[in-house]
Amino acid sequence: MSALQAREVKRSARIQVSRGMRTVIAGVVILYIASYIFAPTSVSKVAQMGMLPFAACLAIVGLGQTLVIQQGGIDLSVAGAVSLTVVIVTWGPDRDDSKLMPAVAAAFIAAIITGLINGFLITKTRINSIVATLGVNALLYGVMMGLSGGSPRRTTEKLSNFTNNKFFGLPHSIYFGIIATIIVTLIVKRTVIGRRFEAVGANPRAAHATGLNVTRYQIGGYVSAQILYCTAGVILGGVISQPTAYQGDDYVLPSVAVVVLGGTSLLGGRGFPAASALAALFLKQLDMFVLSLGVPYGVRTIVISFSLMLGIALYAVKWGSIGSKIKKEGGQLQPV
Amino acid sequence: MIRSKSRATVLASAIAVAAITISTSVTALSSASAALPSWCGPKKITMGFTDGFGGNSWRLVTTAAVREEVKLCPNVTKLYYADGQGKTDKAISDIKGMVGKGVKALVVFPDAGEAMLPALRSAYKAGVITVPYRVAPGGTEGKDYSKFIGSDFVLAGKLWGEWIKKNLPDGGNILRISGPAGNSQGADESKGLTQVLGSDPKYKFIGADPFEVTGWDPGKTQEVLTAAIAKYPKIDVITSDFGPSMVSALQAAVASGWKVPAIATSDGNVLGCFYEDNKAKQANFKMMTISTQNDHSRLAVQWAVALATGGKKPADKAYPSTLFEDSVSGSPSKVQCRKDLPGDVYLSAKMSGDAQAKLKTN
Repeated sequence: MSALQAREVKRSARIQVSRGMRTVIAGVVILYIASYIFAPTSVSKVAQMGMLPFAACLAIVGLGQTLVIQQGGIDLSVAGAVSLTVVIVTWGPDRDDSKLMPAVAAAFIAAIITGLINGFLITKTRINSIVATLGVNALLYGVMMGLSGGSPRRTTEKLSNFTNNKFFGLPHSIYFGIIATIIVTLIVKRTVIGRRFEAVGANPRAAHATGLNVTRYQIGGYVSAQILYCTAGVILGGVISQPTAYQGDDYVLPSVAVVVLGGTSLLGGRGFPAASALAALFLKQLDMFVLSLGVPYGVRTIVISFSLMLGIALYAVKWGSIGSKIKKEGGQLQPV
Repeated sequence: MIRSKSRATVLASAIAVAAITISTSVTALSSASAALPSWCGPKKITMGFTDGFGGNSWRLVTTAAVREEVKLCPNVTKLYYADGQGKTDKAISDIKGMVGKGVKALVVFPDAGEAMLPALRSAYKAGVITVPYRVAPGGTEGKDYSKFIGSDFVLAGKLWGEWIKKNLPDGGNILRISGPAGNSQGADESKGLTQVLGSDPKYKFIGADPFEVTGWDPGKTQEVLTAAIAKYPKIDVITSDFGPSMVSALQAAVASGWKVPAIATSDGNVLGCFYEDNKAKQANFKMMTISTQNDHSRLAVQWAVALATGGKKPADKAYPSTLFEDSVSGSPSKVQCRKDLPGDVYLSAKMSGDAQAKLKTN
């Protein structure tokens, strides 16, 4: 490696603004400008205060999904995990504040067990992650139904205050989203364990050859993801005062979408948790923007899908190489 | 490799079986009853109840009402319950599962509407007394199912419209909120509202037509309502067919300094208590509710049991929409709030609030 290359690597390790991150930042800025011009009410205080807590929940779920996708997997048990947590923290205490902490503890224990099951099925029995997490998702729903009969209760006063009370004018839930993002980013990008985690995701065989315990890191990814889903579930249970039993259903595809938008490859390897979290803000503001435009429901879904495609295409397609190819071939693309 | 694969298959199957077993609960019924209701005939039957979406407190109370009603007829020896969890494919396979179990009567909440018709038809053709209720599945009675027990949602819309006309005589902007896109309940309510207010230029419908889509999900309701509150500086009335799902959004908006307008909706303890907590500070906050109709399912059960056991058919063919609370006139009732009970009980239901509070599992 030349001295120049070495300097490049050093510098990139220090700055670490990924392409996905740049794209997402640009996307968010453009979206907010468009919102301000075309649907100014979508950036009003009421709209933002209504949207941001949900963006925080999606960001935390997205962080979990990022960790799993870094390991080359995909986690479809998001829905069951979030729903089960919401049910445990609302149905368990049943309005009794004194039972809230044991319920939250139970939810986290359930999350760790779920993560271990997911990790075990995928690493030890070699079941495909889609199949394994889908099965575990059904199991989680089964447990949830068995526990509560499919009906969560109203949020306790304490949980509601915990998530909705304000600090410097913003609800606590937003700070939880930011804190979770910082913690996950620091662990993945700034610790030895995090760098090894990325190495295992990028190439498990090479990582194994260097003496890393690949299975442990992979299972760790699934467990950490469940802990993050659980955190999001607790916050969601507080934000929504009367949740349903299937509150997690809306998080499966968006959780994958934010990871992809954030630039983490579905093949695994390097992950960009902060970009995923910011992509969650992008998605939720997009919802708010389209809602505020006042277009019919059908058009809304089309606009959202189109924007998502555009967002992904922005960095997934190598526009530079297409441009140079067009130039090289005299403005005419040849069939490949 | 082969061994580990087969082990994996067994494990995955075990997970699937466990999940199915847990999510489909079976209830054995006690058979103690004194005077039999007229709709309970002499034939002994087993019965099924499938819910398209069972995941909220309204459904919990409605399902409990089904159980209570079935208990009145000891000739129904067993009641099976299945929750479609909001998934049309599961709701369809639940119906097929019930037919497979050999039930003689089946009450269905066909949330997915016409998508459920083929499943209903196949149950009916298999000789099961099939009674869909509340959401119109299309098709025809006696050909696709035994009997559809609807409710007059146009009347619900009219009741809201008349209350709005009386209490906001100078007109105003009306925001309509309902469940999933295109659901027949919301469309009918909107029709009723338009019949009463549509010809009067003083009243203006704002937001999406015929209603803002929320899927009756409190999270989505919060997003939709905050967007509408931000978009329309002047909202004079909000109508919603699931009042309690608006409360978290209303609380968030009030915290940002928003003034609550008049609300015409369906009842729920959480909403009643929200009114009690805010009425002193919110001058424009008037509220009326129609009954949230948890007991609609009872009428469907009576019909299904009557047809399957040879009992007497009930007189009512549809469940009526009735006024429940009115904060202005206090008639038929003032707004009710029971702070000692959970927010998710429905005081308009036949089952007492205290009994609802004790419902926890199926």
